[in-house]
Amino acid sequence: MLAENRSRRLVSAMVAAGIAAALGGSPVFAQDVVKVGAPLPLTGPLSPEGLKQKRGYDLWAEVANSKGGIKAGGKTYKVEIVYTDYASNTPRAVQSAERMITEDKVSFLFAPFGSGATKASSAVAEKYGIPMLAPTASSAEVYDQNYKFLFGTLTPNNTVSEPIARLVTEKNKDVKRVAILARNDLFPLAVAQAFEKAAKERGLEVVTFERYAIGTMDHSAAITQMRAARPDWVYASGYINDLILIRKQMNDLGLRPLVLTMIAGPAYQEFAKAVGPLAENITSMSWWHPAVRYKGKDVFGSTEAFNAAWAKKYGGEADYVEASSAADGAILQLAIEMAGTIEPRKVRDAIAALDVETFYGRVKFGPSGQITSLEPPVFQLQGGKPVVLWPDAIKQGELRFLSR
Amino acid sequence: MIYLQIAANGLVLGGLYACIAVGFSLVWGVLNVINILHGTFIVLGSYIAYFAYVHAGIHPFVSVVLAGAALYLLGHAIQAGFINRVIAAPVLITLTLTFGLDLILNNAMLVAFTADYRSINLARPLGSVEIGPVFLPGDRVAAMALALLLTVLLYRLLRDSRIGRAIVAVRMDREAAALMGVDVKRINAITFAIGALMAGAAGALLSIIFPISPLNSATFLGKAFVVCVLGGLGSVPGAMVGGLVLGMVESFGSYWMGPEHAVTISFALLLVLLFVRPSGLLGRRGYE
Repeated sequence: MLAENRSRRLVSAMVAAGIAAALGGSPVFAQDVVKVGAPLPLTGPLSPEGLKQKRGYDLWAEVANSKGGIKAGGKTYKVEIVYTDYASNTPRAVQSAERMITEDKVSFLFAPFGSGATKASSAVAEKYGIPMLAPTASSAEVYDQNYKFLFGTLTPNNTVSEPIARLVTEKNKDVKRVAILARNDLFPLAVAQAFEKAAKERGLEVVTFERYAIGTMDHSAAITQMRAARPDWVYASGYINDLILIRKQMNDLGLRPLVLTMIAGPAYQEFAKAVGPLAENITSMSWWHPAVRYKGKDVFGSTEAFNAAWAKKYGGEADYVEASSAADGAILQLAIEMAGTIEPRKVRDAIAALDVETFYGRVKFGPSGQITSLEPPVFQLQGGKPVVLWPDAIKQGELRFLSR
Repeated sequence: MIYLQIAANGLVLGGLYACIAVGFSLVWGVLNVINILHGTFIVLGSYIAYFAYVHAGIHPFVSVVLAGAALYLLGHAIQAGFINRVIAAPVLITLTLTFGLDLILNNAMLVAFTADYRSINLARPLGSVEIGPVFLPGDRVAAMALALLLTVLLYRLLRDSRIGRAIVAVRMDREAAALMGVDVKRINAITFAIGALMAGAAGALLSIIFPISPLNSATFLGKAFVVCVLGGLGSVPGAMVGGLVLGMVESFGSYWMGPEHAVTISFALLLVLLFVRPSGLLGRRGYE
């Protein structure tokens, strides 16, 4: 019985080899697999963001596999992404990351959503020497621990604060008084503080700086206080649900600045849809925009090709979370191909040494592991669509002011 | 003068809080069931109003009737089908049951509607009314007024109708009510259904104010809890007073100490009250 089984298996292996040889000679059967772990908040309050990251990874895996997989050191690896849902609970993200390394034997990790969870789980990656690529952690505080295995593809918060401060002050000298409302949370607070600094450097007066708690259902007190301070420019940070509510309540309570900047929400298509006419002329920043044009050496090849692949799989355009997630896959692939192996430490060195063009922009990581080579665009919602105002190379329109 | 605006904000917010809590309070007070489903019922009401507005152009204020009726039926079915089987069990059993049902219903909504935040943008919003230095947001005030009207209707129902008297009788003494010929099972189902109706109606009203997503249900439930404990369980005036107090405290608290402390202040107040008046501001008066 045993012998018969074995011989039957031998025959089928020979048949498979024969078919493979007939099809083109490359040994596509018995392909090696590279496993990448991705703990994501697929349920709970962060699930919209978690699903965005998943869409980015899935697209990369699909494109990479459809082009034959990752080629390194004479072998071809098929990409397999291992997902777990950490239900928007940061301690569970850290546990998931550790379990993926020890149980699922992943060779690489994609970080969970946001600065806080990324920082928490980066310690696990460091401990086991597994490279971790972070698509959604921008705060410099995430990268200040001298870790060798953490790499982030969003530039620091000041790079999204200074261009808008410059743009607005150059266009309108009457904008002098700034009011800031920030969610009391790692990224939203850090980005608002970076903006405060940029505004003060430009000679603007910060008349109020209020923080609101996570899960706040009402902003009327903060908005009333801001209105009393008569700001020309209102800057609000938070996530999409916070910003929808803040925009509606600003309108309800008669807070009408010349400039309204919100981050991070307007970069998502569902924001303009949810806020309707009130979305008009809101400015925001994003780390990537489908209007950028780069030619790359990565698996996508160019921004146009990425946009086309995105539209084919999901319809519409990718936002920066989705693009950054797909870029992390493409970057990992480039590094594996350069290293010629999937040995995590060698791939880590290859990532650190990268200086390469991709569909996402030029990719080069600083000594802390955070990308330094991107110019995050400033955009404004005009007619319900994001219009790029800066950088000049991809500018699509002029800055407009709100009417009082 | 800014205090007038802060007080107006607090009143409007408090009215909405009262409307979130009243159904929850009724079910807790009469059935002794802590209905974890309440927040999800509110969100479901919001979705009914959202889809009615987007697909049929029905104003959310009209959808209050639709959402209320749909949730009444759903509530009745859930009570008769599931909760009635364990209604006499200790409160932890019914709490666990509603918790489990909530997980199922909430995740079903996540699958059906996704977690994306949606919001209703009225084609003809009421705008804001400026009275001196005070801005009153029209749609919010209208929603609050309707919410208070519904609450008063519930109050009259409990006082003046046969069903209402039976509900109050069951709240006061289950056994005595049964001996007097009240069909306790039926009253339980109706009470739970009315609680769900109030949640659905509140959801339709809130749909023009808050972003809509299944993820909001925990926030609504949390507010309902605080309001009930503040005001006293199972009484309509208690929920009103609790809601208004919470709204005012949050509004003034955020103004004086910064919005990041609003929640801390309201929970600190709750702790103090639990020490001083464990039955709530208007507790122990019976449901009438």
